[in-house]
Amino acid sequence: MSNSSEVIPVPMEESLVEDDYFTYVEGVGNIPRDIYKHVQSDPKGDLPRYSVHIVIQHLLVLLTFLVLVVTGVPLLFAKLFWAHTVINLLGGADTARILHRIAAFTMMFACGYHVVTIIFGTIRQLISGRFDYKRTMIPRLKDLLDIIQDIRYFLGLAPYRPKMEKFMYKQKLHYYAIIWGNCVLMIAGLALLYPDTMARVFPETLAKLLPEVVSKGISFPAFFQEFARLMHADEAVMALIVVAFWHWSNVHFVPGRFPLQWAFLTGKITREHQIEEHFLEYLNNLREIPEERGYMKALLKEKGIETIPKVSVSELPRIY
Amino acid sequence: MRPSNEHIKVFMCVSVMVVFLCIGLPAKAADKENCLLCHKYRFLGRIDENGKRLNYNVSEHIYRKSVHRVVPCRDCHTNITKLPHDPVTEEVNCANVCHVKPPFSDENFSHEKIIKIYQESAHAIKPGDSPELQKAKPYCKFCHLNPLYTRVDEKRIAFEETLLRCLNCHQEKGVTQAYMHMTHRLRHKTSRSPQEIVQLCAKCHQDTALMKKLGVSQEGQEAVETYLRSIHGKSVILGSQKAADCITCHASSALHDIYKKDNKKASIYKDNILQTCKECHERTNRWLVQIGVHPKAHDEGHPVIHFTSVFFTFAMYGTVFSLLGLLLLETRSRKKDGIKFLLRHGTSWRGKLKRRVKK
Repeated sequence: MSNSSEVIPVPMEESLVEDDYFTYVEGVGNIPRDIYKHVQSDPKGDLPRYSVHIVIQHLLVLLTFLVLVVTGVPLLFAKLFWAHTVINLLGGADTARILHRIAAFTMMFACGYHVVTIIFGTIRQLISGRFDYKRTMIPRLKDLLDIIQDIRYFLGLAPYRPKMEKFMYKQKLHYYAIIWGNCVLMIAGLALLYPDTMARVFPETLAKLLPEVVSKGISFPAFFQEFARLMHADEAVMALIVVAFWHWSNVHFVPGRFPLQWAFLTGKITREHQIEEHFLEYLNNLREIPEERGYMKALLKEKGIETIPKVSVSELPRIY
Repeated sequence: MRPSNEHIKVFMCVSVMVVFLCIGLPAKAADKENCLLCHKYRFLGRIDENGKRLNYNVSEHIYRKSVHRVVPCRDCHTNITKLPHDPVTEEVNCANVCHVKPPFSDENFSHEKIIKIYQESAHAIKPGDSPELQKAKPYCKFCHLNPLYTRVDEKRIAFEETLLRCLNCHQEKGVTQAYMHMTHRLRHKTSRSPQEIVQLCAKCHQDTALMKKLGVSQEGQEAVETYLRSIHGKSVILGSQKAADCITCHASSALHDIYKKDNKKASIYKDNILQTCKECHERTNRWLVQIGVHPKAHDEGHPVIHFTSVFFTFAMYGTVFSLLGLLLLETRSRKKDGIKFLLRHGTSWRGKLKRRVKK
C-alpha cells in the first residue's frame, strides 16, 4: 500500500464512483463492465462452454423430450378433438405408447450418461487441481444476490448487470428444475409402466414401516397410483410450458440470440454473451486462453483505455 | 420360336383354370322360402297405431354378408307358418334351434349355451325386478345387431382368446383342430373392437339419471366417467386395440357372464380379481389389484392428492408467470440498452442507448 508506484486500477471517466466498473486483468488491462457492447463475436461461438458429452446429452434430451411430448400430451387430453389426429399420425395409440417408452428410456440413459460425465469430470478436475466450485452448478448465495441486482438493473436502479459465473441463476434454476422434474417423471412413469412391480415395492415397504396404517384398510396402492398419474401429468405439462415459453425464448428468441444460438450444437458461446452474462467466467477464459488475452488487449487499445492510470498516494484512502 | 399347338393347349387350360378360380362361388341361398319375393321392396312397410313408420325391407346384399347369412328366415321367425303371413307379434327367440349344422357336429345349431350363461348374469331379468328395471335390461337383440357382424379383417388377433370365443357355441372336438390348422390363418375377426364395446356399454351405463332411477350404486353410476379417466379408458379413446375395455375385466371368455362384484362368480369378485388382472398384467400381486381401475376425480379422493393437485396448479402458474415476467423485463431492458435481435457484423449491440442508467 505504501508503494506509490504500485499499479492500481482506477476508472478514468466520470463513472469513477463505481469502483467495480473496471476490472483489472494482469497483462490485459482495465476491462470495463460494458465492454460486451463493443466486442466482435462469431454467431457460432468464440469461447468454450460445453464439452462434447454435454452437447450429446442435450441433443438426446431435446429429441426424446419432443417425442415424449408428442406421444404423451394427446393421452392426457384424450377427449379433445386433436388428440386422435395426433395419435393417428404417430401410427395409433399402441405404437405411440411404444414410442413413448423408447423415448423415456433413452432420456433416462441420457440422464445416467450426464451423471457419469459429471462424476468423472469432477474427479478429473480434482486430481489435476483445477476444480472450482464457482464454475459448477452448485447453488450459492451469490445467485440470489445476482437475481436481485439483475432485476434492479432491468428496472434502471443499478448501474450494471452483476458479474456472474459460468452458470448464472437462470441456468441453475433450470438445471434443478430438470433434476426435480426428471426424478418425478421417472418414478411416476415407472409406476404407470410397471404398476405390478411398483405396487409390490412401495406398499410392501410401507406395510413394513407402518403396519397399523395398512391394517386400517387404507388402499395405499390405489393412492400411490393415483398420485403417480397426477404427478406424471402435471409435472410433464409444467416441463413443457417452462421449456416452450421460457427456455426456448431465453436461448433462441430474445435479442442477441435470435434466431438461433449455436451453443447447443457447437458447445461454444459468443464473446458478447459470455462477457454480458458470465463475466467471471470470461476472466477465467482470459487467464486460460492466450489468444483471447491478445484480442482483449488489442480491443482496449483501440478504445483508448488500455493504459493503466497511476494513482498518487494521496488519493489512495479515497479509493480503498 | 413359334408357339406350337402344345403350347397353345397348355395356355388355354391354364386360362380356363384361372377363370374358374377367379369366379367366386355365389353365397348359399338362405332364402329357401322366397321371403324376399315381398321383402326385397325397399319401401315395404306400414304405419302402426302409434303413427310410427315401420320398414320391413330386408337388404339382401347386407344380409348375405352377415353372420346369419346361411340361416333360413323361418328358423328364427318360427311363428310364420303361411303366406301371406299374419302380423308378427312375437320377438325372435335366439335360443331357437336352427336348421344349420355347425362344422364337426351332428346337432343343429343353437345359442342356448350362451343364453344360459346370460340368464344367470346381472343383465338378465330376475323375478324380483321392478317393471322399470325389467324394461331397461338388455336382451340379445339390444346389443347384437345383425349388420354389425360383417366380417372385418383384423391383423392381430390373440390366437387363444379367439378360440375360446369360438368354443362358447361350437363344440370343442373338431373345431379346435380346424381352427389350429387353418381357420386362424384366415384372420377374420367378427367381434367388436374395444371402442365399440365401450360405446355399447356406455349407451345405458353413461345415462346417470337412468342408472340412479334403477337403484345402481354411486360407483356404478359414474363407472363410464371414471373408466374414461383411467389409462385403459384413455388408450381406448385414442384407438388402442390392446387396452382393457369393459368386458376384458367384467366377463370371462364367455363374454356374457357379467355379475355384480359381490357375486362369487363375478370376474371382479375380490377373490377372482387377481386372476382377472393376470390376463394382461402377468406379474399381478395382491397390491396391484387394489389400484383403482375406475379412478375418482382428483379432488374427491385422498387429501394428499387434492393438496398435490392444488400445489401443482400454483407451482405451474407461479413459475410460468414469474419466469415470463423476468424474461419480458430483461428483454425490454436490454432493448433499451441498444441490443438488436440478430447478431450481425460481429455484434448485436448496434442500437442506441435509450435510457439513463442510475449512477
